[in-house]
Amino acid sequence: MAAHDITLTVNGTEHELTVQSRELLVHALRDQLEYTGPNVGCESTTCGACTVHIDGKAAKSCTVLAVQADEQEITTVEGLAEDGEFHPIQEGFQEEHGLQCGYCTPGMMMTATQLLAENPDPDEDEIREALEGNLCRCTGYQNIVNAVENAAEQMDAAAARGDD
Amino acid sequence: MSVESVDPDEVDAADILGSAIERREDPALLTGDAEYTDDIQLPQMAHMAIKRSQHAHAAIDDIDTAAAEEMDEVVAVFTAEDIDVPGNLPVGWLLDTLEQVDHPILAQDRVRYQGDAIAVVVAEERYAAHDAVDAINVDYERLEAVTSPRAALNGAADLHDDAPGNTAFEWEIGDETKTDQAFADASHTASVDLENQLLIPNAMEPRGAVADYNPSTEELEVAMTTQNPHLHRLLMSGVIDHPEHKLQIRAPDVGGGFGSKIHHYADEALAAWAAKQLERPVKWIATRSETYLTDAQGRGHETHGEIAMDDEGDIVGLKIETDANLGAYLSTFAPAVPTYLYGTLLSGQYDIPAIHCEVTGAFTNVPPVDAYRGAGRPEASYVVERLIDLAAREVEMDPAEFRRQNFVPDDAFPYETQVAVVYDSGDYEKTLDRALEMLEYEDFRERQAEARENGRYLGLGFSAYIEACGLAPSELAGQLGAQAGLWESSLVRFHPSGTVTAFCGTSGHGQGHDTTYAQIVANELGIDYDDVDVVEGDTDEIPHGMGTYGSRSAAVGGSSLVTSARKVVEKAKSIAAHQLEADEDDIEFEAGEFRVAGAPDRSMHIQEIAQQAYLAHDMPGEMEPGLEATSFYDPDNFVFPFGMHAAVVEVDPDTGELEFERYVAVDDVGNQINPKIVEGQIHGGVAQGIGQARYEGAEYDDNGQLLTGSMQDYAVPKAEHIPEMETDSTVTPSPHNPLGVKGVGEAGTIAAPQAVVNAVVDALEPFGVDHIDMPLKDEKIWRAVHENGGEE
Amino acid sequence: MEFDGTFTIEDVSTEEVWLALSDPVLIKQCLPGCQFMTRVEDPDAVDFEALRESEPDDDPATLPEADLEDISDRAFEEGAHYAALLQLSVGSVKPSFRTVVTIDERDFPVMNASGEGSASDSSFEMASGMTLVETDEGVDIEWHAEADVFGTIAQMGQRVISPVANRVVNRFFSNVEDRLTEVADDNDGGGLRDRIQDLL
Repeated sequence: MAAHDITLTVNGTEHELTVQSRELLVHALRDQLEYTGPNVGCESTTCGACTVHIDGKAAKSCTVLAVQADEQEITTVEGLAEDGEFHPIQEGFQEEHGLQCGYCTPGMMMTATQLLAENPDPDEDEIREALEGNLCRCTGYQNIVNAVENAAEQMDAAAARGDD
Repeated sequence: MSVESVDPDEVDAADILGSAIERREDPALLTGDAEYTDDIQLPQMAHMAIKRSQHAHAAIDDIDTAAAEEMDEVVAVFTAEDIDVPGNLPVGWLLDTLEQVDHPILAQDRVRYQGDAIAVVVAEERYAAHDAVDAINVDYERLEAVTSPRAALNGAADLHDDAPGNTAFEWEIGDETKTDQAFADASHTASVDLENQLLIPNAMEPRGAVADYNPSTEELEVAMTTQNPHLHRLLMSGVIDHPEHKLQIRAPDVGGGFGSKIHHYADEALAAWAAKQLERPVKWIATRSETYLTDAQGRGHETHGEIAMDDEGDIVGLKIETDANLGAYLSTFAPAVPTYLYGTLLSGQYDIPAIHCEVTGAFTNVPPVDAYRGAGRPEASYVVERLIDLAAREVEMDPAEFRRQNFVPDDAFPYETQVAVVYDSGDYEKTLDRALEMLEYEDFRERQAEARENGRYLGLGFSAYIEACGLAPSELAGQLGAQAGLWESSLVRFHPSGTVTAFCGTSGHGQGHDTTYAQIVANELGIDYDDVDVVEGDTDEIPHGMGTYGSRSAAVGGSSLVTSARKVVEKAKSIAAHQLEADEDDIEFEAGEFRVAGAPDRSMHIQEIAQQAYLAHDMPGEMEPGLEATSFYDPDNFVFPFGMHAAVVEVDPDTGELEFERYVAVDDVGNQINPKIVEGQIHGGVAQGIGQARYEGAEYDDNGQLLTGSMQDYAVPKAEHIPEMETDSTVTPSPHNPLGVKGVGEAGTIAAPQAVVNAVVDALEPFGVDHIDMPLKDEKIWRAVHENGGEE
Repeated sequence: MEFDGTFTIEDVSTEEVWLALSDPVLIKQCLPGCQFMTRVEDPDAVDFEALRESEPDDDPATLPEADLEDISDRAFEEGAHYAALLQLSVGSVKPSFRTVVTIDERDFPVMNASGEGSASDSSFEMASGMTLVETDEGVDIEWHAEADVFGTIAQMGQRVISPVANRVVNRFFSNVEDRLTEVADDNDGGGLRDRIQDLL
């Protein structure tokens, strides 16, 4: 099995590592670099628990080979909070009880932040549609939708205040 | 009626119990700091993968592991021949007629479901272990497979020599003679034949285990996806012949369970056994395909039900016959689910004078079937509520009024049913009235009539559910066949500085116990919520426990914490009396403060007493130092949450498409410790119930091959599949536990399926449709309409 | 699962199609993913590794170049068994099936065969048949198959098996059609068509 030396920049930190040709990005992140936030839920690109951002775009890290992500910027759930302050999406999930067991939550939030970047004021249908690639078995989704709306409002208020 | 959550810092200590505070477990889960089983990495850790049967039923002629053994990075390959321990998974609930069959952790000469474990590979690395599994060659001689319980009981090939005719048990409850007489005297009857389909639990986190053995101390630590660590410790210690006191079972963060992580499976035992054999840590994590093949499934009933009414529209009798699918082997609590957790709930919310139920348990070539969210109670509620709608139609009454007329009246509690349980409390009209108000029921019926005129078909379905949860009085459980007590244990420990750790034997996996238990304990002790830490899920830390399932944690675990806390308060009170030089009877306790009656300035705070208890410089009489207490709380009865759910749908008879207009849920789960968490449990439960009603179901071909074996084939509902849920609640406290709580974990799942099915059948009444089996996919609805010619 | 269909080849005779479909070498070449197809005596004791290794690098000539007597000699025989290694791509899984096929009936213009194939985590059992029907335009190959699949392909790939089966069958017959077109072209110069007619 061929090995490849690659460089991944994860949450701003550059890592050099050696991966097998077939090694999935999610396993490289979890097993080698110990970013265990992204979870493996289905291995068929259905559940979205492993969602991360690759160069700013949400992607399911269980269907990306680690070598494909060479030289790219990865953001995992570990990179959402800054200086100990929750990202608005984390605030939203906490305030709206948008999580129970928490297993789907990292991926759910990474998809939601991408939605909010593209559409800062989504309505309920748009949120539900955007989350179609992320499964949750605990919450029934209602409080997840509320969490995303809550985050949108926070981000809107922050923008109005002129925060960066 | 969405509940607003609050920051715990903004809640007065006196109001902490009952406040919708934000959960303290969230920060770790929101940042990636949580530790699930697959997050654990240990030095020298090897990876295990399992060779599973590709056939649902076959004799094994040969297992060739030579190629696998020669592969790079393979540490060991084991088959049944290598297993030097009992290796037989036990069943934890017995019935008089039960045929107990062997359930080996590795199959030797016969496999009985697709996914049955045949061999294990341990390798240095995750992928290498799976590669080596693929290199194991098994020669099978395929045998006839059966997946339907009714077919299994009627002439299919036997799975087990010890269970001829595939009969696992025959069980009945109620009075057959009295019920037959009631039917003979009745003015009206209605009946239904239905299937309550097999469901696959699909907790988002697959099962897994990391086992670590220390040969010097002989201590074996297993971190695993479990809902009940102590129960798993007891069972596993027997299966792998390792002494219970040298076995530690630890639940790291667990990503959902819904029942599937109660049971003791082969896989976790194999990982523990392999770690001991190899004297190095072994990790096994199920792939999603493996969870589809091996997680214990739920439901699986084929049922004939009949209901009888007199000419006033009063229910006079109910008869139920069910063939229950148990799968290939008996899983841990399998015999209890279609019997005592099912038959005892067949009176629903109704005063029914005669009931009889017969259940035959069948072995089939599907994975073992056991408790899945609701476990027996959804099956009962489904058949009862389907029959209630058919009965109302038969006697030409409005389904809401037919229910109201037949409810157990609110002054009849405690109410003893004809099926061996005593409902502790209830007020069924209250949830019905609130639901009717939310639904604007009369307007709806007018709207429905108008819409029909215009060729649009609206339907409203009720579900008046009841459940028995809070398992359970141990003595009663023992009489019914449980091989375990069903109390709950806890330890409340003050530290010298005045903070508290509360240990409880339940094991949450998403329910927010860290938060709700801290609310309970802070309230009992009168100390700050932040001064209480909660520990669950570790057999080395917690005195004992029975775990989290059957909506029991608040009612039994929470009550145990109250009991322990009150013991602590009692001891603290003695110390306070001693140090305040007052008579114990004159000491009053309020909000953490012990005061001498009539002398309010003479007082000590309980946290100050904690310090005194550990200093032990001035203790009363012979009293031991320290301030902590353990309790084993055994409830007096089950608790009986209830409620009224209703779905409003529109069906397009030309296409079979179904749209939810509304989903209304009014639940009475007794007192609420944290209303936001209660709401979340209802939401999640309803979503799973709607999943069953609309989308989910394990499907097999004629050879027992699973056709819904991935998340691409088995429809776990997505965000866009679940309607907005309008929730409200009433509060009828349980009279027999100190918190007055009932249970909420399963309520929504029990309630929702029949609300949806009743709504669709109501919508299609003009087409003569009186039943459609779940899941109500568009095609099935279309067929139901067109089977009757598609004409009104 | 049951599959059936009709594949039409224009401007050929039933005899030509029959001869082509009787030749294990041509079948091997036309069947997508088929590594070899070799006659075996004992269907229960096939050493696929040995067969794979003994497989010649170059196949003997097939239509249109082949000597018709050679084809006739190696043609499928009723009651005979043939071992084949088939690599299929079914959804996300790509199993290599060690397959043994038995010719149950071979009576012009009808041929029926049954077989079993197994891979590490999947297997199948199959019964199939075809009838050649001469039409004004050419020949209709009416085919049918009944298959049971087990293991990973059943679990992961069942929903895509029908399209996969249809794709494989169509590619197979298309390849056969290409060969027969060459036969027809060849006939313009060398009279191969007449010789096939004579052979049967």
